[in-house]
Amino acid sequence: MSSGSPLTQDQSRAIRLMGLPFAYALALLAIPLGAVLLFSFWTQDFMTVDTTFTLDNYREVAESPIYGLLLRRSLMVSGLVTLVTVVLAYPVAYFVSFHVAPSKKSLWLFLITIPFWTSYLIRVFLWKVILGYNGVINSGLTQLGLIDEPLTFILYNVNAVIITLAHAFAPFAILPIFVVLEKIDRSLLEASRDLGETKVSTFFWVTLPLSMPGVVGAALIVFIPTIGDYVTPELMGGAGGKLIANMIQTQFLQLNNAPLGAALAIVAMVCVAGISILFVLLNRRWLRRQT
Amino acid sequence: MTDLISLKGVQKYYGDYHALRDIDLTIRGGEFFSLLGPSGCGKTTLLRVIAGFEEVSDGTVVLSGRDMKGVPPNERPTNMVFQSYAIFPHLSVAQNVAFGLRKRKDIDKASRKSLVEEALKMVGLAGYGDRRAHALSGGQRQRVALARALVLKPKVLLLDEPMSALDRKMREHMQVELIRLQRHVGITFVLVTHDQEEALVMSDRIAVMFEGEIGQVDEPEALYRRPKSRRVAEFIGKMNFLPARVTGIGPGATPVARPAAQDEVVPGRIPQSRAAVKLSGLMRRGGEPAADTPATPGEAMISLDIAGLGQAQVPMHQAPEGAREGEVAVGVRPETLAILFEGDQAPRHECPGTVDEVVYYGDMTYYDVRVKDVPQPLTIAMKNLMGRPVLEVGQSCRIGWDDRALVVF
Repeated sequence: MSSGSPLTQDQSRAIRLMGLPFAYALALLAIPLGAVLLFSFWTQDFMTVDTTFTLDNYREVAESPIYGLLLRRSLMVSGLVTLVTVVLAYPVAYFVSFHVAPSKKSLWLFLITIPFWTSYLIRVFLWKVILGYNGVINSGLTQLGLIDEPLTFILYNVNAVIITLAHAFAPFAILPIFVVLEKIDRSLLEASRDLGETKVSTFFWVTLPLSMPGVVGAALIVFIPTIGDYVTPELMGGAGGKLIANMIQTQFLQLNNAPLGAALAIVAMVCVAGISILFVLLNRRWLRRQT
Repeated sequence: MTDLISLKGVQKYYGDYHALRDIDLTIRGGEFFSLLGPSGCGKTTLLRVIAGFEEVSDGTVVLSGRDMKGVPPNERPTNMVFQSYAIFPHLSVAQNVAFGLRKRKDIDKASRKSLVEEALKMVGLAGYGDRRAHALSGGQRQRVALARALVLKPKVLLLDEPMSALDRKMREHMQVELIRLQRHVGITFVLVTHDQEEALVMSDRIAVMFEGEIGQVDEPEALYRRPKSRRVAEFIGKMNFLPARVTGIGPGATPVARPAAQDEVVPGRIPQSRAAVKLSGLMRRGGEPAADTPATPGEAMISLDIAGLGQAQVPMHQAPEGAREGEVAVGVRPETLAILFEGDQAPRHECPGTVDEVVYYGDMTYYDVRVKDVPQPLTIAMKNLMGRPVLEVGQSCRIGWDDRALVVF
């Protein structure tokens, strides 16, 4: 289409529908992102920011062992949270899709979203109450005489962070898996039984392969936000459970080194983007094999 | 032929809903058997009971001598072609066909491959092995489903409305192919269908089902010519019903004299080599009024006074549900009635009528003819033979009928 010719109906409809959300996304996502990127190439000069272009921040991120450690720990925690969440979410989604009467399914999905009714912060504090030194689990087990002194591996460390995050993101993982399971033609499962497979082998040969796009989607939805989460590691992580997001926050707000914080944020983002793209490609492969 | 499938007193409830009511049925080895009925009659449920997808509430299912109670589908000697074909979308055509073979310990990889190729060739899909399921048409999917089931050489192949997703041309084509395939492999086929024509064309025997019960099990011809009940007669083909009165039942036993030998070729009668002749479409076209089995000596005769047609005497076997004195209904197929034209042979009986409606089909003409004292016009199917005119609405005519074609309900 040559420039200057009037907009087609499709184009003008796209502008009407997408214009406002697009402007909103531009103002609140693209511009701040650009600012962070710009900051990462500047340096902090005590109270002022030196705006000469430099790669010093990235050099420091690469050379200081603490940042690499935090980034690796963050990726590990996010990976474990993703694994735990998806592995726990799958049976729930499977149960609702296959064993709940159709009329009750929406009720079940509604119940699954109940955790969202309270704020994220309150939920994190609740986990503190459950996992804490004098928390529900420890006092319960002590009362029952099963343990002599409180368990310490479940608070103020990486384990506590994983438990809390996995719970927080469970609904996000359940829903995409549920949607994919719902779409599976049930006669395929009967065909598998008819052709000699047991219930269990039918799951591994038919149900699981057909639900992989949902699993990959769920993994992405959990993985991407958890790596940037700093509330849970701040409250639950203790000294050894801090993640890259906590360091970014520290750089920006406590050490007053916004350029280094920005560089850390960019590095973390690139890592997440790289892993996500890998996930998407994986997903594509599954989709191509199926449609 | 031996009984391969035997159902005794099978009941199936879904909550309060009584889906199968006391089903007794035997299906023989090598038979092409159809379960025919309107939707919701329980025919698919019955098929799923045989396949093992539904547990019976009561009664026994025996497959080749073995009680199937508690035997899951994967351990039954049956395979199924699903209505949706259920082709695995994440596998290729060859992988689909090989799906059930993977479990067979006695078949190595090489022979598995050749079995798959053989099966694909049998259904006319040689060379399609690497295709993805989504690249197939409806007819091809059905062939894959057939190959996938037949490659396992089951004792029974169950087909759940396999033609319903195909267009008419394709359906007729697949009907012929299925019959050929069944003759070729010699496996017992059990077909579920709501299409009476499909059942008549394809089956050795048919069970007609209504509301969870079996109305009649018979060969197609017997089912068509001697329906055992009015609802079977109404479901299969078209039948005229006339009010009548039984005036007497007696050992009147003078068997109606039969002019020719028993094995005479009667026009319109379906010869035994069914597949060949039926597939040419004779069945659907009907034929001339056909003589039926004569009364056996000593058989009781029913004296009838039929509205509009008059007096007739028929042997007891033309009243499949038995007869008693009083009001009854008499059924007669459109092709066993005739409009008389000049030069036609004199019929056994005749009566006057007036043409009420003419539906012209090219090879056939269907007339609705009003007859005095008959509440509904009679439908009469006439072949458009050479030199035979097509009558017009309002013309008066003479109707020939034959007491041997009557069924008393």
